[in-house]
Amino acid sequence: MSGGVKITIKLFAALREALGESEFELDFEVVTTDAVPIDVASVKAALSQRGADWSEALNQPNLVHALNHKVVFIDALVSEGDELAFFPPMTGG
Amino acid sequence: MSVSLQSEAIDVAAEYDQLVGDRPGAAVATFTGYVRDHSDAHTVSELELEHYPEMARKVLENLGQSAAERFGLSSWRIVHRFGRLAVSETIVWVGAVADHRGEAISACELMMDTLKTDAPFWKREQGPAGEQWVASRDSDTERRARWQSGEAQ
Repeated sequence: MSGGVKITIKLFAALREALGESEFELDFEVVTTDAVPIDVASVKAALSQRGADWSEALNQPNLVHALNHKVVFIDALVSEGDELAFFPPMTGG
Repeated sequence: MSVSLQSEAIDVAAEYDQLVGDRPGAAVATFTGYVRDHSDAHTVSELELEHYPEMARKVLENLGQSAAERFGLSSWRIVHRFGRLAVSETIVWVGAVADHRGEAISACELMMDTLKTDAPFWKREQGPAGEQWVASRDSDTERRARWQSGEAQ
C-alpha cells in the first residue's frame, strides 16, 4: 500500500539563510510497510535530492535535528503531522 | 517558576522582585548576561538573535523544572531575549531561590550552562566585516557536559 505522509519542515539560522526557506510542508511519498519506516535520515535524503546546496547544507557534520521540539538522533521515526526542524548548533545565552 | 522570551529589554530589578516575591528563601542567586562589544577576533556593534519560539519555551521550562528538582528551589525564572540587541544591553537573566547559597548558585550555573547549548537561539554579529553567524564554542559544550557526567553538582 502506498501513501503520502505530510510533515512540516523548519529551517533556522545559517541553514535557513543558505536555502532561502524557513518553513514548508513536505509530502513524503512512501510505501507504507513496516519494513520501511520513515526516519529523520530518510527525510534528509529526500530533501538532499533538491540540489547540491540542500545536500551540502543538510549533510554538514554538526547539523541538529529536532522532532516536535525535541532534539533527536537521525534514526528517530517521523509520522504524519510531525514538525521536523534542522539547524546549526545553538548559540544562545 | 516561569520563562519569558521577549524582544524588549530585561527589567532586572522587576525580575528580582518577582522572583523573590513575598516569600523569600534564605538564598537568592541571579545571573545577568549582556551583549559584549567584541568577540574573539573583532569588535561587535550589534547582535541579532534568531530563535525557534515553541521549542525554546519548552526547553527552558524543562530546564527550570529540572534545576528546581535537582536543587530544591522554591522559585526560579529564566528570561531570554530575541531580535536586535545593541552592545551592553541585557540578553539573558536567570534567577534561583533556595535554602542555601550552594544550591541557588549551582542552579543558576546549571541553567546558564545548559541553555547555551540546548536552547534554540542563534547569534548573528554585526562587526567590521559585516554580519556573520556566531560559531558554537567547544568550551560551552564542555561546561554543559560537566553536569551530565556528574563532575559538576
